[in-house]
Amino acid sequence: MFVYEKQLQYPVKIKRTNPQLAKIIISQYGGPDGELGASLRYLSQRFTMPVPELKATLTDIGTEELNHLEMIGAIVYQLTKNLTEEEIKKNGFDAYFVDHTTGIYPSSAAGVPFTAAYIQSKGDPITDLHEDMAAEQKARTTYDNILRFCDDPDVKDPIRFLREREIVHYQRFGENLRILTDKLDSRNYYQFNPSFDKKCFKKRT
Amino acid sequence: MTQREIMLKKIGTYKFALKDLQLYLDTHPKDEYALRKYDEYKEILKPLVKEFESRFGPLTVKADNVNKFLWIKNPWPWDTEEDD
Repeated sequence: MFVYEKQLQYPVKIKRTNPQLAKIIISQYGGPDGELGASLRYLSQRFTMPVPELKATLTDIGTEELNHLEMIGAIVYQLTKNLTEEEIKKNGFDAYFVDHTTGIYPSSAAGVPFTAAYIQSKGDPITDLHEDMAAEQKARTTYDNILRFCDDPDVKDPIRFLREREIVHYQRFGENLRILTDKLDSRNYYQFNPSFDKKCFKKRT
Repeated sequence: MTQREIMLKKIGTYKFALKDLQLYLDTHPKDEYALRKYDEYKEILKPLVKEFESRFGPLTVKADNVNKFLWIKNPWPWDTEEDD
C-alpha cells in the first residue's frame, strides 16, 4: 500500500523558466534511464525476490524512485511555466508543445514515448540485481549529462541531489548481490535461478 | 524563504535522513547505531510535523478540521508561490 506525502523529497523552486533545459530533463521522467522506468523496474522485480533484505530494498528504493519522478515532474513544470508563444518557438519547445502543450508527458529527450521495453523483470535475482546496478549507473551518467547544460543553480541543486541518490542506490544493490551470493554455493552461483530453484540455498548450519 | 518553506525544509531533512537510514538498514538490519539513529530522528520529526500541520495544513491526508477539508489546500509540492 502506498500513502502520499504532500512534500517533495528535496525542494524544487525554480525562478527562471528555461524550455530548452526542460526538453532534456524530461528524459529523466519517461526516457530510457528515467525515474518512471526505475520505479516500475524495482517495484515489479520485488515480487520474486527470495530473501527478506532484497524484498525490502527493492520496495524501498522503488518507492524512493516515485519521489524522484515527482521531483523531475516539478522541475519540468516550473521550467515551462507562463511561456509566450514566441519563447516556445525560439527555444525549440514547439515540437513538444504541439502534442502536450505544457503538460508533463513521459517521454525521452528525443520525444520517444515511455515504453516498458526500457525495463526487465527477469525473475532471476542475480540477473535482476545486475540490471538494477547498471540502471543506477546509466541514470547517474544521464544526470551528469544534464548537468553539463545547467547553469541555473535552482536546477543544478535538485539534479545534483538526484545524481547522488543513484550512487547510494548502486551501493545498496551491490550489497544485495553480496547478501544473495553469500547464501548460495560459491562453487557455482549461476547453476540455479535462486527464485525458481529453491534447493540452491545452502543448508543452515 | 518563507516561514512555511523553512519549516518544511527542516522536516524534509529529517525525513530524508530517515529514508537513507531505512535503505541502509535493509541491508544492515542488525546495525545498532543505525537503529538508534533511526529512532532518534523519528522522535525529533514528530513534533516538527505536528507544528507544521497545525499552522499550514496536513502533509498526509486527514480530516481533522470539522469545517473544511484542508488536504486540498494550495500549495501542492510542485507549485510555486504564484499558484497560491
